[in-house]
Amino acid sequence: MEEEQNEQKHEEHHEHNEVSKQKKSFAEWYEKNYKLLLIIPLILILFGIIYQINFYNQYGDIIRKDISLTGGTSVTIYQNFDTSNLISDLSGKLNEVDVKIIYNIITGENKAVIIETKSDSETTKKVLEEYVGYELTDENSSFEFSGSTLSEGFYKQLVIAIIFAFLLMAIVVFVIFRTFAPSTAVIISAFADIFMTLVTVNVLGMKISSAGIVAFLMLIGYSVDTDILLTTRMLKRKDDKLNERIIGAIKTGLTMTLTSLFAVLAALFIIKSFSPVLSQIFIIISIGLTFDIFNTYVTNISLLKWYMEKKGLK
Amino acid sequence: MKIIPTLTWRIWLLIIIILLSFLAIFGFPPTFTQKGIIITSVEPNTTAFNEGLRTGQKIISVDGIPINTLEDYTKIILDKFPSDEKQKITIGTSDAQFILFTEAAPEITISNIPKTNIKTGLDLTGGSRAIVQAKDKKLTTSEVNDLVDITRNRINVYGISDVKVVPISDLEGNHFMLVEVAGATPQDLKNLISQQGKFEAKIGNDTVFIGGNKDIQSVCSSPQCSGIRSCDRTTENTYACNFFFSIFLSEEAASRHATITGKLGRNSNSTLQGRYLDKNLDLYLDGKLVDSLLISEDLKGSTTQQIQISGSGNGANQADAFDDAESSMKNLQTVLKTGSLPFELEIVKLDTVSPTLGSEFIKIILYASLAAIVVVFLVIFVRYRNLKASIALLITSICEIIIILGIAALLSWNLDLPSIAGIIATIGTGIDDLVILIDESKHSRNLSLKQRMKRAFAIILAAYFTSALSLLPLWWAGAGLLKGFVFTTLIGITSGVLITRPAFADFLKRTENKL
Repeated sequence: MEEEQNEQKHEEHHEHNEVSKQKKSFAEWYEKNYKLLLIIPLILILFGIIYQINFYNQYGDIIRKDISLTGGTSVTIYQNFDTSNLISDLSGKLNEVDVKIIYNIITGENKAVIIETKSDSETTKKVLEEYVGYELTDENSSFEFSGSTLSEGFYKQLVIAIIFAFLLMAIVVFVIFRTFAPSTAVIISAFADIFMTLVTVNVLGMKISSAGIVAFLMLIGYSVDTDILLTTRMLKRKDDKLNERIIGAIKTGLTMTLTSLFAVLAALFIIKSFSPVLSQIFIIISIGLTFDIFNTYVTNISLLKWYMEKKGLK
Repeated sequence: MKIIPTLTWRIWLLIIIILLSFLAIFGFPPTFTQKGIIITSVEPNTTAFNEGLRTGQKIISVDGIPINTLEDYTKIILDKFPSDEKQKITIGTSDAQFILFTEAAPEITISNIPKTNIKTGLDLTGGSRAIVQAKDKKLTTSEVNDLVDITRNRINVYGISDVKVVPISDLEGNHFMLVEVAGATPQDLKNLISQQGKFEAKIGNDTVFIGGNKDIQSVCSSPQCSGIRSCDRTTENTYACNFFFSIFLSEEAASRHATITGKLGRNSNSTLQGRYLDKNLDLYLDGKLVDSLLISEDLKGSTTQQIQISGSGNGANQADAFDDAESSMKNLQTVLKTGSLPFELEIVKLDTVSPTLGSEFIKIILYASLAAIVVVFLVIFVRYRNLKASIALLITSICEIIIILGIAALLSWNLDLPSIAGIIATIGTGIDDLVILIDESKHSRNLSLKQRMKRAFAIILAAYFTSALSLLPLWWAGAGLLKGFVFTTLIGITSGVLITRPAFADFLKRTENKL
């Protein structure tokens, strides 16, 4: 036991030397260029804004919404049948058809087919019964229908909830740090996370469900904690040099984000065969966490370092 | 070296809360050790009901034969009641014996005793959910409450068990009625909750009486004065069955009947069966003619209070026609009893979820959580090379899930998909906080460990408040359908900050001090 510990300490020491060498040359480069690094998020955000403006002009909204937000019917049929021509066969009869498949993750065998359409549930039922050739009962199928007014209201309120959530988060951040610039840096980087995730989701062509919007809400919490850690370590601690504190914060923060990211990816791997709803949550969080790494350690650090340099805080 | 380190009060607190959570989840004595099946509903005014069988009782034997599963029960009952003969049946529950003399199977619904007290939502167990709103009208709070009352009445008349009818509202101030039925969906649920139920009995253009307790004193549904009278083949492929039932009018409605019939003349084409007035009593339900009744001549001008309502049902064979007539009769009786709603309704959301994949879904979710936890363990172990801390982190994370499930079981919260997403979110933030604790404990060794932990908690609390506050708006958004997410996440992160994460910090302190 003790031997092991000594070895560990020795290793740590060795590592420390190696790292400190690398640290030095990197630190020099970083010292000179950290403000330039801000160009990357700036370009990404600018690209995002242009993309979103185009997107809005094309679709009339900032995301592609699935039927849980536009209204329509989602039918799950618990039988295996040929779905290769399903979309083309149904497209004339139902409004905007989408097909997803639930399969057994080990055998790959199809367990159920999910059909989503903007048509109402009665029409959908009739058309699908004709297609599969048997009656759809609550033994062999599930129907979920949402009226368009309700769904649109739902969407509007979820967007309001996200805006409120973001504002509340911003207020808490201001209360914690009580200084304008560092708080703003945290908020900007949280915003950048969410915005970049939104653009990515659109670029990937994903249709967002109500659960997907909840995932965006979860991102607020996930992205802010590493920023708070970073800002606390940089601003409130005086025991090490600034760059050392930054490195420490990066180590902790990266462990946090990477652990969450790997955990989410592992869960996604299993759940994607089964639940499109949970899968979407996990996909959005994975994208968000990836941007969080970038925004915390590029955007937020650079902004905060800039501020501290200007104020002469080191 | 002590094998079991002395535990701090925080760690004791965690252990006690975990034990309490297990108690909440499994009950005492644990539900999975209990034998028998549970009664989920008893039809009122039946032999079973009158003998004292009630919802919630556990049947452990029938005629002395022990019952462990639904199949045991069904088999005995099927063997016992092949014919309509009156028989004695002894039902033993966990605390009493009930002896029934009956010609048919007891009118109760039963299910296996659930293994835990955790309730799962419709999207996992199956069932139906409807959200109802007035057509072209914004409902006020009191209107929704009235609607909920009437709907509860209607559902009681139908004897559907396990139904939740509640008013809900959203951020924009819209009020809705939410109806949730667990398990199989009654065929006519849609009809039952969305029909306005505006009943009118008219002679010509004059309304004699309408549904509801102002005009109608009582509606008979006992076999003496209601039932299916006759079934006939009407055409090659259709059958029709006629139903009838008596109602008793209020005095006011009866005198209205007298005034209106007093003005009528005699029908010149009176049949052999009797002489009738020249106009019929037309029964309308939601503007549609249900039936048109001939009025016997001797009722002219009379203030009769008892009136017989009739109608018919159709079907491709006699059994279908009979069922149709029976359900039309029940429907009509319901609206006559409960009265109509002052507005037309619209179902804005209707989900009927099959329970087919539910149990498999729960399995997949468990696998996914397990995979996530194992990955977390591996990443943390690779990062810190500290087995003890990694295992402690793993245990802490599992404890947080147990506490969420315990509180959910205690409050009978239905765990639906959003709730499960919330549990996963908690695992995520939990791990983040634990990593902060490990790192802060290793950091700045010139400070005392206590100070280092204090610093760590400053960050954890800051993160907690941002997450907790940013969740709140979701509670009210979208008619509360995503409440589950807020519920589990809030419980998870709060118990995390108050109980599990401090215990973890104490554990770190102890192992740290020993090094």
